[in-house]
Amino acid sequence: MTPLVVALNLSLCFCGLALMALSLDRHHRDVFGARVPAGRALPLRLGGWIAILGSLAAAMLVEGANFGPIQWIGALTGAGLAVVLILSYRPAWLRFAVFASLPMAALSLLLSLQS
Amino acid sequence: MSSAQAARRSTPYRLAVAARVLLAALGGYGVAALATALFSLILPMARSEAVATATLLSFAVMAFLVCAVFAARSLWRSALWIAVPALVLGGGLMLALGARA
Amino acid sequence: MRQGLRQSMAWLHAWSGLVVGWVLFAVFVTGTASYYKDDISAWMRPELRLGVEHEPGQVAERAAAFLAREAPDAGGWFIELPKAEDPVATAHWWKTLEGPFHKARLDPETGARSAARDTRGGDFLYRFHFELSMPPLTGRWVVGTCALVLLVALISGIVTHRRIFADLFTFRRSKARQRSWLDAHNVAGVLALPFHLMITYTGLVTLAPMYMPWGASTAYKGEELRFFTESGMMPETRMPAGRSGTLAPLGPMVREAIARAPATPIEGIGVQNPADAHAAVIAYFEEPHGLAHLHPQVAFEGTTGAYTGKPSDPGPVAYASTAFIGLHEAHFAGPVLRVLFFLCGILGAATVATGLVLWTVARVPKPGERTGFGLRLVQILNVGTVAGLPAGIAAYFLANRLLPLDLAGRAGVEIGAFFGLWALVAVAACLRPHRAAWREGLALAALLFLAVPLVDAATVGSPFGDGMRFLAFDTVMIAIGGGLAFAAHKAGSVARRGQAATARQDLAREGFGRA
Repeated sequence: MTPLVVALNLSLCFCGLALMALSLDRHHRDVFGARVPAGRALPLRLGGWIAILGSLAAAMLVEGANFGPIQWIGALTGAGLAVVLILSYRPAWLRFAVFASLPMAALSLLLSLQS
Repeated sequence: MSSAQAARRSTPYRLAVAARVLLAALGGYGVAALATALFSLILPMARSEAVATATLLSFAVMAFLVCAVFAARSLWRSALWIAVPALVLGGGLMLALGARA
Repeated sequence: MRQGLRQSMAWLHAWSGLVVGWVLFAVFVTGTASYYKDDISAWMRPELRLGVEHEPGQVAERAAAFLAREAPDAGGWFIELPKAEDPVATAHWWKTLEGPFHKARLDPETGARSAARDTRGGDFLYRFHFELSMPPLTGRWVVGTCALVLLVALISGIVTHRRIFADLFTFRRSKARQRSWLDAHNVAGVLALPFHLMITYTGLVTLAPMYMPWGASTAYKGEELRFFTESGMMPETRMPAGRSGTLAPLGPMVREAIARAPATPIEGIGVQNPADAHAAVIAYFEEPHGLAHLHPQVAFEGTTGAYTGKPSDPGPVAYASTAFIGLHEAHFAGPVLRVLFFLCGILGAATVATGLVLWTVARVPKPGERTGFGLRLVQILNVGTVAGLPAGIAAYFLANRLLPLDLAGRAGVEIGAFFGLWALVAVAACLRPHRAAWREGLALAALLFLAVPLVDAATVGSPFGDGMRFLAFDTVMIAIGGGLAFAAHKAGSVARRGQAATARQDLAREGFGRA
């Protein structure tokens, strides 16, 4: 069902983009008060890519090759907007939001597989 | 006011900008139209498909040419960006039309 | 126009964006609203009762009877059948395809003109999106030119803004005013960049037969219409005979069409040359779920009602072109995806608006310098458009509720309210100091939007009544009003001057300044 898949896309994209943002010194400092520790940037970025590509894969599996990418791109924009707003207005919330986004993704995946 | 700013308010500068705007708008559209017409005739697919392909691509052609006209280092070069493709495509179109007639 | 690729592209980005920015802002705003065209139309005709089913064949015959009285010598008719969101039949007619085009909304039960209030509904905003309330051909050329310039501005913007990833999430709202405007412009532009590129290109493709007819006119010299039949856009029909003929009843044709194309509901019936011996009738069906903008069609001979065929199957590229149009119109988008498209559209409008503001912010005179004429003009146009257009749209909605229902030329007066408020804000922008004009214009627009749900409740009834039909619309009005109020508040706050110098350097590097 589409709304659930959009929720899945949104939470995975949010997680991925937030990890990407945290791989940059400027935003890592906003959230954790310090630069990215040595050797942490790569795993963060890798995790970000995995979540974002996972979102694309999920969208294409459920919605097909036509609608999947469109929905994924829409979700990427929506999630990106959320990351930017949180980073600029409530940066401390980002870490909780990242942790919350994974169970959200799992939940919407389960529900969308069921229906 | 810096000398660079002063140079940008001079008449030759403004004329050069106007010339590029004209080249980009009229030349860009003209070359895109020539390309569309030529590829509609020569692409090796059904007639309607060739027209659809050429028309779909035409806006990319024009956008690229506009960027090229403004990126060129001199007015002379930006005129070449329009003139050379116009001659090649126009010649090709005449050949293609002649071959069809 | 400067040395180096990045510098020349930065110059191109700033100037191309400026000259078409005001039109583009209006195109983005009304286009974004058009994602909810049917919802706006339904809100603007609250007296229409939804959920009544009609037999399409009978409705078609009633509408045809109306058209035969009103426009017997027309070159073409089109009958839109009632649908769930808009339960009236709409009759369109025209002498030639160059226009003018007429239309009348009909009660499907009687075939007489609908008694619902006279308004153009969401259709006005939709047509404004690509015609700007100008004569149709002129408007379409203006919008098309601006769209191509936008495509150029997008490409040159991408070349200019090389730190796309590093700045993707950066919005430094605490820094100097110029810096945060640049951040906002970059964030809104880059986050929705795929959307911006897609919507610009597909918009051009949607009107490509008009903008770029040279392929079809060269390959199909003298028989351009064959391009549309060969690529599966329309069925083959005969040229007019020049002799008069009598149109057969539409009802049986509609029923046969439904039997021949049962996949989706029937949407409308077109009649070519209704009074000619070679009249043709084409039944149009809703698009099946999919990207392509391809309505199934079934054609009949007008005088006999005999079935003549369906469009051929489109080739892969013709299909791709219709998918481009489908992407632009997003009929396929369900409610959630539609919200995302709507958001992307707002980001597009925000990108244009922040770009326009940046142009002025980068040129604010140093203390002691006078504001030049060019800068002042851009400032006035910025406030006039960015605050004036939303105020006009809110006034359009308010007029719909407040004008007397039996007012002569009511639909035109609603549109008058739209342009009147827009002009008012623009005039105020000339008379007031720049900062005050921003604050007051945005605050006025905010108040007007916030007034919409109140006036709706006072005139039509509580949004919670009637199955909460208009709750969503009214909620969105409050959200837009809140957003505009926030913008008015921000515009009123005092600029931080300290970091202006570094910000000006940043701007110059990104091509906005005059360093």
